[in-house]
Amino acid sequence: MTQVGGHHTERVRQRTHEGFLRHKGFRWAQIAGLLCLVTVAVYFFVAARLAEPPSGGSWLGYILGTLSAGLIVWLAFLGVRKRVITAGHYSLKAWVSAHVYLGLSLVVLATLHTGFQFGWNVHTLAYGLMMLVIASGALGIWAYATLPQRLHGNRGETTRKQMLEALESLDKQLHDLALPLDRAGAQTVRLSLEQTELGGSFWKRLTGSYGDCANTRALKQLKALSAPADPRQAEAVEKIETVLQQKADVLGLARRQMQITAFLEGWLFVHIPATFALLAALTAHIVSVFTYW
Amino acid sequence: MAQEFHLKLITQRAGGGDPIVRERTVEKTELSIGRASSNDIVLADLSIDPQHARIRFSGPGRVNIESVSGLTFEVGGRQVQGAELNVASQPIVRFGDYSLAFEPAEDGGAGVTITREDDEHHASPSVFSLQAKVFGRRNMAWVLGSGIFLLCLAIPMIFVLFLANPKIHPDQQWSTGALSKAHAFMEKDCKSCHANAFVAVRDEQCLTCHAADPAKAPLALANAKRLGSPFEPRLISEHATHAELIKATPLPPGLGSKANVLIQRAFNHPTDRCASCHIEHTPAKAGGSADAPLTDKPKLVVVQDCESCHSELKMRLPKTGLIDTPDWSKHPGFRPLIMTEAGPTPKFQRVALDTAPQERNGLIFPHRMHLDPLGGVARQAIDLGKGAGYGAALECASCHRRDASGKNFQPVQMERDCGTCHSLAFARVGGELRNLPHGDVNKVIATLAGRTLSAPGGSDRTRPGSIRPSAFAAGGASAYRATFAPGGACYDCHTISWDGDTVRLAPVKLATKYLPRGGFDHSVPEHGGPGDAKTGAFKCADCHRAQASDRSSDVLIPDLAKCGNCHGKTTAQIAAADDADCTTCHSFHAPGQATPKPGHPPLKTLRWTEAVNRRGAGA
Repeated sequence: MTQVGGHHTERVRQRTHEGFLRHKGFRWAQIAGLLCLVTVAVYFFVAARLAEPPSGGSWLGYILGTLSAGLIVWLAFLGVRKRVITAGHYSLKAWVSAHVYLGLSLVVLATLHTGFQFGWNVHTLAYGLMMLVIASGALGIWAYATLPQRLHGNRGETTRKQMLEALESLDKQLHDLALPLDRAGAQTVRLSLEQTELGGSFWKRLTGSYGDCANTRALKQLKALSAPADPRQAEAVEKIETVLQQKADVLGLARRQMQITAFLEGWLFVHIPATFALLAALTAHIVSVFTYW
Repeated sequence: MAQEFHLKLITQRAGGGDPIVRERTVEKTELSIGRASSNDIVLADLSIDPQHARIRFSGPGRVNIESVSGLTFEVGGRQVQGAELNVASQPIVRFGDYSLAFEPAEDGGAGVTITREDDEHHASPSVFSLQAKVFGRRNMAWVLGSGIFLLCLAIPMIFVLFLANPKIHPDQQWSTGALSKAHAFMEKDCKSCHANAFVAVRDEQCLTCHAADPAKAPLALANAKRLGSPFEPRLISEHATHAELIKATPLPPGLGSKANVLIQRAFNHPTDRCASCHIEHTPAKAGGSADAPLTDKPKLVVVQDCESCHSELKMRLPKTGLIDTPDWSKHPGFRPLIMTEAGPTPKFQRVALDTAPQERNGLIFPHRMHLDPLGGVARQAIDLGKGAGYGAALECASCHRRDASGKNFQPVQMERDCGTCHSLAFARVGGELRNLPHGDVNKVIATLAGRTLSAPGGSDRTRPGSIRPSAFAAGGASAYRATFAPGGACYDCHTISWDGDTVRLAPVKLATKYLPRGGFDHSVPEHGGPGDAKTGAFKCADCHRAQASDRSSDVLIPDLAKCGNCHGKTTAQIAAADDADCTTCHSFHAPGQATPKPGHPPLKTLRWTEAVNRRGAGA
């Protein structure tokens, strides 16, 4: 793959995107992997020798629990850390790299902490929320690794600002073209001008389902209108149809951008609220365990 | 007076800056308003009809405006089809994005300022990002976080700390798993065990229902009923005082285990509690679902075994008289609890069995004489015949009877077990024999008081049905003296002395248990109980050398080596080999009994009705 000249910026960005995963030759992946290996080995050595069924209440359970809780709090601090810019050893990139791999290692640590005891209680709630946070985080890693390229592929050389400007200019054309039309014609164009929703709800963006798009409906209505007798109006209707179609194309492009962006950002809508929920459930888990010791 | 409309069209510039103002005067009394370019006032707004409305003077300073399209416009905030306006009051009429502001003109006409309200807003590229309003990341985060905090921690905590008998139990969500069936009735009432927040479950909570202390046991049973237990609680004794147990218990072996115990102690979670060994809220087996129906009883976790305490015990408990038993091969020989003084409050002493201890039980009874197959006792038993339950030389079972469980023997009762041969008869009244009361010498004296009896001839060894001649040997002397004199009914078995005219009987007390800290099960086939033994079941005489014993003071229990014939051996050595586990004879919570097999007694037998029936049958 050879990229020259204007693609330089893109290449730099691409390298940065993979950067936090490959940071320092997967240093944090190795640390996290080693941590998992050691805990799994210790668990299966110790658990078989424990008098009681393994649970969070054994000495190993307490160690794994303390380690996991500490990790969760530290991982949650990324939200604070990312707002502070530093470089070097404790750069944000190093921090994110550690966040990703240590976060994934929690799957092993916290599962061993449970001793594979699950039930309908606040403790398993905390575990479930933690797994939700990790799963959404994993989705985020996938999104960051693949979607920026797809975003670029989709929009080609058009910037987002240009897309919006194109829509605005098309709307202005539509408005001016529709001025000579009768009431029914004007209403049809107004439908496209006033009712068209570019993005819409979370789910619309994610699924890209715009079957009820006002612009599409306007195009249909326009075709259904009886051809005006006035040649000036007839010409306007013809032009309007072309412009509505152009608008539909630009809308499609912009909405695909939005869909990819929604994927890129959507995981955070689970990751962040689930993290807060997890911190609350974790607090409840720890406090309740010691309340009813 | 000229009535003209002075029109002023103000257009805002898109990029800001001064607006464009165009003015013209229309010398008409009526103006048309609409989107079509043919109108006097052209409003380029698609919501306005090509021909929308018209406007005309209707009097001095008055203007009439009405719709020609049937569509409305807005006057004073209301949608109308027509309106009469007083120009002097500077009314404003709105058509779509346009507003028409009227004002009186100097020439008596009307000025109309037409302005387009340009609310064009340019979409910013940020529209490409997800920007949910209600379900924004922060909102959701705080709502979810604080919701869980409230529901899962704050509210249950308020219930725990401040409410005594709540109707609902939000703290149940804190339960890490189901309780055993025995304790399931307390499932909702966490505080019945977790009495104090942040304090590990203490023994007092367990003993509320399980205290075996005679002073507390009735209350314990009542407590269990009050709390709604469907089962009769098992009452728990300890095999030493709790303080002694704690002192005697060493730290467990292994650095990790030691650290574990010390750290738990430091955090007020000591490992010597009932709950340290009897675990609740945990699945029966590793990996089992925490909510699945669990075992009948709490899971038992053996934290310390017997050997760990009963090794070098004197190091930790200097005053103990116990001999270390680090393993079966080092088990000390039996030291039966020997009665050194009989009586209402007998005195006991542990004496090693190999020193041939003699017991002072007050009874005169030669086992050898009674078991001699060729002796007079055998002769009499044969004479008594099968109808009386004898018919052959005496055997152990002639006098020693198994109890209901078959594990032990009932205490010997003189009337039942000796009375067939040893008559207590002293008089015949109307053809019926009268027997002396047995067991209380004062009652005997009272019965005989004042009687003088004549002596018929006959043998001294007289069977029941007749009165022994020696009862009357005194020949006119008091029957009282005769009864306690040689040949009298009491003389053979009791040690008698005289204090002037007052008789003294050495008190009699037969041992019921020589080894109070161990349990021996006589019902095991190999031990001589009913059923098929693996090999050569013991007979009584194999262990109890009664046939060679002339004195009742002989202690006739076998020594430990006898147990070692089978226990601790391998099946290669002896077919009846069995383990030599401490629990075979000893138990932690019921001193003097073997440790019950896991799951015994079965929970269902502990239901109140069953338990009452069982006690009834036993009584």
